[in-house]
Amino acid sequence: MARRRNPARLLIALSVAAVLAVFLLYSAVAGGGTPTVQPSELPGHTGKVALAGQVIGPVKGDAHGAGLTFIIRDVAGTTRVPVVYTGTVPDMFKVDQHVTVTGAMVDGTFVSVKDSMVTKCPSRYVPKHDGETTTNGS
Amino acid sequence: MTALALVIGAIVAVACVLWVAGPFLREPTVAGAADLFDDLDPAASQALVLAEERDRALGALKELEFDHRTGKISDNDYRDQVGPLRREAADALRQIEAAQP
Amino acid sequence: MSEVGRAALLVCLALALYATVAGAFAARERRRRLAVSAQRALYAAFASAVVAAIVLFSALLRHDFSFVYVADHTSSKLPWYFCLSAFWGGQEGSLLLWLLVLTGFAAAAVFLQRRAQDLIAWVVPVLGICGVFFAFVLVAVTSPFATQVRPAEGFGLNPSLQNPYMIAHPPALYLGYVGLAIPFAFAMGALLSGRTDERWIIVTRRWTLIAWAFLGIGQLLGSHWAYEEIGWGGYFAWDPVENAALMPWLAATAFLHSVMVQEKKGMLKVWNMLLVALAFNLSIFGTFLTRSGVLNSVHSFTEGPLGPWFLGFLCFSVIGSLALILWRLPLLRSKTKLESLISREATFLYNNLLLVALCLTILWGVAFPMLSELVRGTTVTVGQPYYNFFLRSFGLPLLLLMGIGPLIAWRRASLKSLGRTFVIPAITAVVAGIALLIAGAGSSTPGMIAYTFSAFVLASIALEFWRGTRARRTLSNVRWLRALGELVSRNRRRYGGYVVHAAIVLLAAGIAGSSAYGTETEGKLKPGQSLSSGGYTVTYRSLTREPKGNHVELRARVDVYRGGKQVGVMAPGKNEYLAEQQVSNEMAIRTDFLRAEDLNLILDQPNEDGSIFLKMVVKPLVNLIWLAGFIFVLGSVITLWPDAREQRRLVERYQSARAHGRP
Repeated sequence: MARRRNPARLLIALSVAAVLAVFLLYSAVAGGGTPTVQPSELPGHTGKVALAGQVIGPVKGDAHGAGLTFIIRDVAGTTRVPVVYTGTVPDMFKVDQHVTVTGAMVDGTFVSVKDSMVTKCPSRYVPKHDGETTTNGS
Repeated sequence: MTALALVIGAIVAVACVLWVAGPFLREPTVAGAADLFDDLDPAASQALVLAEERDRALGALKELEFDHRTGKISDNDYRDQVGPLRREAADALRQIEAAQP
Repeated sequence: MSEVGRAALLVCLALALYATVAGAFAARERRRRLAVSAQRALYAAFASAVVAAIVLFSALLRHDFSFVYVADHTSSKLPWYFCLSAFWGGQEGSLLLWLLVLTGFAAAAVFLQRRAQDLIAWVVPVLGICGVFFAFVLVAVTSPFATQVRPAEGFGLNPSLQNPYMIAHPPALYLGYVGLAIPFAFAMGALLSGRTDERWIIVTRRWTLIAWAFLGIGQLLGSHWAYEEIGWGGYFAWDPVENAALMPWLAATAFLHSVMVQEKKGMLKVWNMLLVALAFNLSIFGTFLTRSGVLNSVHSFTEGPLGPWFLGFLCFSVIGSLALILWRLPLLRSKTKLESLISREATFLYNNLLLVALCLTILWGVAFPMLSELVRGTTVTVGQPYYNFFLRSFGLPLLLLMGIGPLIAWRRASLKSLGRTFVIPAITAVVAGIALLIAGAGSSTPGMIAYTFSAFVLASIALEFWRGTRARRTLSNVRWLRALGELVSRNRRRYGGYVVHAAIVLLAAGIAGSSAYGTETEGKLKPGQSLSSGGYTVTYRSLTREPKGNHVELRARVDVYRGGKQVGVMAPGKNEYLAEQQVSNEMAIRTDFLRAEDLNLILDQPNEDGSIFLKMVVKPLVNLIWLAGFIFVLGSVITLWPDAREQRRLVERYQSARAHGRP
């Protein structure tokens, strides 16, 4: 079949439209992602957030029992939030570590979603004695 | 920076310069056209393009034969396609002959 | 010693600069001697990079803590092989690895094509610019040869990197990332010289294949490392760092397919140029992402010295490549058109669209947090569901296309002949589907789809081999095995490609099995108590502590039962590293080859009273993923194997064309 117009162009246009449609549909259904906030930014957000900050002791309790309790503080500030965490505790977790826990505020305490703690492992690129941390990279 | 380091550094620098200047040292008095590397002028470029078209057409023919033999293309399809492909190949060959001086 | 290293890097920078300037001038004016001189500078740049690398390697092996880098990444008790791998364990060392591989590949690429001066004339300055950037960064911004007053002990290597896979994974990955610079240089070289004949396509294609193969193997090694080390039985978490390697790989995969359309029909020249540029720029983008700290926060990347430089180079590369493509657009216009929407060309087009769509959605997922922070001030991360959704939406059709493509002929295929060739694979897929449903795989729809498509693809590949071998046999009347060998040898790219497809199918099946059909459970156990999942029962016996070299091993002894009988003993635990003051998880893996599944035990929490919190994960078919790696290597080797006949044909054609031009 001889066509004067190039079917490839039509095909590409339709495919791009299809991909966009899939994309928009997904965004509409699944909603946006999870915002990452520091303790000082918490009041502005209701619902599920990823709370990021520095771990302050004392660390008490059992993460696989009633819950591990500790405090998360702004990395470069003073706002503190008490946290109750249940689930697996990453190996790198300790006081002064930077962590992110997903969950929501309930009655003044941040209650975590199970197994949602992530530590920012010390970067291979920034020496530990620097005090700064970034994510692991290649 | 010890004196030894400076000496080694100087030797390395000189070695690099000699290595990189090699082509000039080997042929110091070449100039003009002899110093130009081989390139294709428009006629040669055109000849190359035509040769590639010819090889493409011949390759497509071979592929058609192979697909027919392995049963991927039915006899009808083969008959439909082999004619135009043969013509394309013949066209390409003709163009090459025409371009020859 | 560190001065030697610093000097070597400075020499490398100077040589790369010369190669760029001299090479550009020589290309423009077609000066032969100057062009050769610039090429020599590239070879010498590689030599000086090697010298710098040797200095760093020897300092690492000697535990020379006066080197800041050595002190930061090793300790005196670190085994020698990890001391070596610490070379790429940190920022400066991995940048030096970049430079080493870049200059090495550049020297090799130019040397192999040295007889085609007009082809490589502009390639030299493009590679030179890349070399200048990395050498400059190593000389002026962040040097591996910084020295200090020698401390008594080093900080040691990050424990999660003390794993054999982390010795192999970064070099393989870098061979891939950096390797993409070569086809990029040839592409830009072709645009600069205005020459896009077939020699360029073949060289670009082969180097892309090499880089792509290493990138793929590097990612598999990394996944295996994550699987064993990170300890949650997962091998891919859509981490930005992982995505950084996946995106260029997808772009390169798209190119490897669409370049075939360009070879056969002279179409898609602009698209191919864009893909090669995209692959390389994504590679630089990935490096920028992982080194600049921008993943933490867009604002943090300006705090480190490296971020702005990489961003600048990335912008230069993106704008430069787009500008060159736009400038040469008239040259790249093709006369041929797509003949039919049902043809192999069209299948490749669909494949490309899906691959690029997947690549761009991943890119969006990676960039979104940074963009949202710039615009709204809050970092919003997209989660795994986002990526998994698009992987399924685009990946499953891609899987199906892998089976359809080989069955369709080039140019045009009538629906009738299509129907005939589809019959056997389709029946195989349906039969497999029914068998799987009976076996209980109906619990996951995407899993079922993946499995049936996999069966379809494997059947179509087997059919291709069968039909080709049979045709070969009737042609030359030899035995089956010999016919198969001849078939593959005469069509290395096609059948090597089929082998690679088979590997991808295994990969897909492994991913589907382990993600859709896995089971897990967890609980607190006192000695003598058990957990059950996926047909296995594990009983906790005791906890031991044992010092070993640079760490202390804490292990829980666990007996494994299946069907009432004991089948083994496993010891999940943790390693406490003394110098590094860190703990790493050591997951215990039991592989059942017959059932192709893994039982993973994770010692989540050892308690003071001798009880433990144990996590138990069963992952079916996960070993297909690693098996796929081997088959992937095999397929790539077959495809890359040099074809003497093709080489001869190229040379002859070029010579005869030259003869035409010269009366």
